[in-house]
Amino acid sequence: MSALMDFLTVFTQPQLLLLVAIGTFAGIYVGAIPGLSVTMAVSILISFTFSWQVYPAISLMIGIYMGGVYGGSRTAILLNIPGAPSAIATALDGFPMAQRGEAGQAIGITTVMSFFGGLVGIVVLALAAPMLAGWAIRFQPRDYMLLALLGILLVGSLSSGSLLKGIFAGALGIAVGAVGMDPLTFTPRLTFDQPLLRSGINFVAVMIGLFGVSEVLLQLHHIKTPAVRQTISRIVPSWSTIRRHLPLSLQSSGIGVVIGALPGTGGDIAALMAYDHAKRVTKKPTRPFGKGAIEGLVAPEAANNAAVGGAFVPMMTLGIPGDAVTAIMIGALFIHGLNPGPMLMVDNPHMFWFIVGALFSANIFMLIFGLTGIRLFVKIVEIPRAVLIPMILLLSIVGAYAVNNSISDVYWMLGFGVFGYFMRLYGYPLGPVILGVILSRLLDDNWRRAIISVREDPVRFFNGVFSSPLSTVLLVSVILIFVSQTPLWRMAKARLFGARNA
Amino acid sequence: MNASDDESDRAREGSSDATPGGLPDLRRPGELAFTLFLVVASGILLWQAYDIAGFRRLSSPGAIPMAATGAMLLTALLVLWKTARKPLTTDESLRVAVFPGPVVLMALMLVGYGLLLKPLGFLPTSALFLFIAIKLLSGRSLLFSLGISLLALAVIWLVFRMVFTVLMPAGIFPEAEMVQFFRTLLAGAR
Repeated sequence: MSALMDFLTVFTQPQLLLLVAIGTFAGIYVGAIPGLSVTMAVSILISFTFSWQVYPAISLMIGIYMGGVYGGSRTAILLNIPGAPSAIATALDGFPMAQRGEAGQAIGITTVMSFFGGLVGIVVLALAAPMLAGWAIRFQPRDYMLLALLGILLVGSLSSGSLLKGIFAGALGIAVGAVGMDPLTFTPRLTFDQPLLRSGINFVAVMIGLFGVSEVLLQLHHIKTPAVRQTISRIVPSWSTIRRHLPLSLQSSGIGVVIGALPGTGGDIAALMAYDHAKRVTKKPTRPFGKGAIEGLVAPEAANNAAVGGAFVPMMTLGIPGDAVTAIMIGALFIHGLNPGPMLMVDNPHMFWFIVGALFSANIFMLIFGLTGIRLFVKIVEIPRAVLIPMILLLSIVGAYAVNNSISDVYWMLGFGVFGYFMRLYGYPLGPVILGVILSRLLDDNWRRAIISVREDPVRFFNGVFSSPLSTVLLVSVILIFVSQTPLWRMAKARLFGARNA
Repeated sequence: MNASDDESDRAREGSSDATPGGLPDLRRPGELAFTLFLVVASGILLWQAYDIAGFRRLSSPGAIPMAATGAMLLTALLVLWKTARKPLTTDESLRVAVFPGPVVLMALMLVGYGLLLKPLGFLPTSALFLFIAIKLLSGRSLLFSLGISLLALAVIWLVFRMVFTVLMPAGIFPEAEMVQFFRTLLAGAR
């Protein structure tokens, strides 16, 4: 009963409800503008809300978080520039839909599925938090490492192009992420003895370059062709469309919650994993994947918003952030004198139920704002390319500069922009680079922890892997995904099923 | 006819990760040079990664960088081998498919922007950049380009400077003084 009262706190206080609404609205636009990330907005908000009470501060942050994870999908659909990393997978099918003039339908289905996913995430957070935490606590360093590898390989297998190029891109990302001082031994890595490189390469700069600048440079090829007029005829999707995709969105939400609950991995990986899942389980997509399949929108969007609820599970129960944003929120709670961790749920259950309530209301606001403000938003794409392109470039420069107030980040951004332009021209997928950069640290830390824990003995390492069902499953998945993309798999399949198919 | 040309052109350019562009059976202009660049760059990175800690321990700080750059070199070499054996496309040229005029122009302007940002400051450099880019890309009148670029700059500046308090290099423009002027004005009105 007391839990219910705590859950309803946000609804009984108009001020808190208003803050969640403002946060969600702002979050949608922050998420949509390339270079402005939710992580950045929430970290800035910490300094703004320093003197506030803890409930209003958390309300605003949760609104931004929920709205921002969803908002990235809009620019992904309309411009093929994911406004946030969690929308990388959304661009794969969202942009082809917009090119066909179905931007409204794409945004509508994205909004409803984000709401649905968000809801599933919140329900799971509320019901199964202790259970999931008990499961996640058994994860070993080697499991994190395998999971990171799995994530990177998945993007490679996502691509319709060559897996070799996908692996190259992922490995490049890991290398880029490793640049700088090694956090464990303080050895400079891949710095070419340049002091500038010691602090590493900012991943936001890499992301803006690869996804903002390179796309703009490619768009310049088509400067003469008139802008695609996005006809937004129907935004609210029909009930039959929603019902048809309900099973997939439920599965995707499940993936989202689990990935979100794993420490470190948030909506971006959840979205890519769900996309990969959809690609594999959908026998008859509305259209081929990558060419505007609705399933390709349903899966990542349900998953990335489900991951929001999921990300709070380890944060509230273990004090371990589920992703970057919850990491910042742990900092915010700390400032306000709360100590997130196993004891928070015991000592201060109000906080947990308040957060669940705030998430729930943010989810509802996201649905309302998502289905109403689109016409205004879509005007952006009706601006002629000759005006839009210089503006996006300027936004990218400001965005890259703003992260650290550093000009060198702008150069990195431009450099990766030009590099990404060539990668696109010659068929290298860009997603694995970003995934590699994000997971590099996780991969590195956990590999070293895992190998040190077996005293650098590879035999003992593999014994350890195969003695744990979890590690075994992860390792087998990594190998399977790898093998399924090589000629070996096709040969084996041909031998097994060849007679029947021929 | 024209539309289908555009379509095929777009398919060669990576619009997304699911469709990363390139051609499976043909080599695009400049592809071999780019692949060679990747091989050389991966080689240099691998050497740098080896330099971190050599082959000392599996848990050394250089282990993952070496594995990553090693994978880069290996895959780049395999891609090079495959690319070199593919025949060159016959329907496109380096000039049009890889370095069309607008792309070269914008790339040069971005370099110019980077060089001018520090000495000139954010507002003048951005105004200049937007104006020249919009004028050259749209081919509209001077007045149109000037108006649009100033309007765009005003919006961007307001959002970043005022809402997100991002401080860009001020340079020669008395930006702080201007903000202070408006603040005093507003305070006076109260």
